[in-house]
Amino acid sequence: MIAAPSPLATIRATALGYVPRILQGRGWVLAGLVVFPVGLSLIIFTLIRLKGGDASPAEAVKVFHEVLVKMMLPIMALVAAPAGIREDLEQRTLPLLLVRPAPAWALPLGKGLPWFAWGALWLVIGVLGLQLLGGDPGQLPGRIVAMVGAWWGELALMTLVGLLFKRGTLWGALYFFLWEPLVRILPPFLQRLTFTHYIESLAGSRAAEVQVSQLLAQEQVSTHPALAILALLAFGTLCWALAGWKLQSTPIGLAGSEAEG
Amino acid sequence: MINLDRASLRYGPILGLSPTTFELPDGGGITGLLGPNGAGKSSLLQLLSGLLPPSGGEVRVFGEAPFRNPAVLSRLGLVPEGDRLPTGLRGDRWLRMMGELSGLSGERLQAAMARAMDTVGMVERSRQTFARMSKGMRQRMRLAQALLHEPELLILDEPFNGLDPEARLTLMALLRSLAEQGTRILVSSHILSEIAQLTDRILLLFRGRLLAEGTVTEIRQLLDRHPVELRLTGEAQVLARWAVEQPELAAMRIEDGAVVISVRSPRDILPRLQQAVAEGSLPIRALDPLDLNLDAVFQYLTKDHA
Repeated sequence: MIAAPSPLATIRATALGYVPRILQGRGWVLAGLVVFPVGLSLIIFTLIRLKGGDASPAEAVKVFHEVLVKMMLPIMALVAAPAGIREDLEQRTLPLLLVRPAPAWALPLGKGLPWFAWGALWLVIGVLGLQLLGGDPGQLPGRIVAMVGAWWGELALMTLVGLLFKRGTLWGALYFFLWEPLVRILPPFLQRLTFTHYIESLAGSRAAEVQVSQLLAQEQVSTHPALAILALLAFGTLCWALAGWKLQSTPIGLAGSEAEG
Repeated sequence: MINLDRASLRYGPILGLSPTTFELPDGGGITGLLGPNGAGKSSLLQLLSGLLPPSGGEVRVFGEAPFRNPAVLSRLGLVPEGDRLPTGLRGDRWLRMMGELSGLSGERLQAAMARAMDTVGMVERSRQTFARMSKGMRQRMRLAQALLHEPELLILDEPFNGLDPEARLTLMALLRSLAEQGTRILVSSHILSEIAQLTDRILLLFRGRLLAEGTVTEIRQLLDRHPVELRLTGEAQVLARWAVEQPELAAMRIEDGAVVISVRSPRDILPRLQQAVAEGSLPIRALDPLDLNLDAVFQYLTKDHA
């Protein structure tokens, strides 16, 4: 009898097996979500400078916070997570994986890792691209760590939500685009329940960007960068673990539906 | 090898499988799981392959409960119903992943892949993506993934659906060969003739209940207890005169240019009918069995059950 593969072997096999998927349509959409706004910003700023205009380096910070963090990162999670284990559930190919002796709980992480690596690569490229516009080079490592850490957490959260709810993408979108923007007016404790808080703790505050219309904002709280990255990584790992537990414990049949076990 | 003790399966309020009890012994051989659509065949196979736990009763495969049990799953292979394979992947790479998820690695994995692809005749064509493969090729790949780890129990859910006659015969030959080598095969179908070509051991399911279990002959003997309707087209008066002389006749009616007779033990009366036609004493233009289809079989057995 053949011994069942270890969890690490399962994660490795699944991740390598699904790597080709990231080089297909959805993977390039993911890359485009970073490349397009950053590339457009670079073109516009270059044109302004060529015409002798003044393009402040602070604009790069604005693009980072307002476009990459608030819009593109959540959209990336909403695009990539359904291509993870949720895809097998919807295409009804999950039973082919579940009848293997490999631990089922390792499958969500194994299938999510290629997407995490691919998204992280483009986010790093995006942040480096924005640095070309200027800005404090000392904050560059913080921005990179913030984006990669937040990507880990947001992708894991969306994977979990996709296994917990039939309309996981909708719930995820509501969280990212209704709850997260409230960070400016949330009481200090609740700010800690948003990705934005930890990203800003790592990448620098957006406080300098606060407009007159936002004067009613609550006092912004901050978390030590080391704790912030730890929080993002721990939250992401917890979400992957919960997604694994959900898959391990839920009976999923050939129709992709649960039986009353 | 397989023990079900009043095992049942519910999908919320819907009963997929009524409490069912049966055993399959160790060793190779093919067992057919026969029943019309919705009979509970897939529910039973999902219980056996460990995809779903029973809602009641007990399921044991190799002496253990199969749900999420690596000790059981490493000894069985499943070919699920349908034509579903992951999009955007190449056949050989996907097969490698399935092998690794079965615990194979290194040279053993290479050898298992080569053997499985050779067995299903996909050595040359497995480098294509699934989207470029024909339905028959995809079915072969699905069979290859189930054979990779040389399972002792191979479960196939409606494997002949959508296959052309040639592919169907090839698959049947392959299954027979695997059974001869010691693999226990459980194959479901809703077509009696398909199962009868493969095996002489049948489990009959209907509306979530196991109605009968036995060899094809035993199942046919069950049927012989029930009258079967035959339409004899020809000179009705002469045909009717011949029919009333037959001891198996249960009922008769004359229709336009035909006689419809209801007979018990059709396999006794048919040779006499054949002889009479050969001797030229019976002017028959056509002979049509009216209710020898599987639905009629199940209706008879359901009445018996009731």
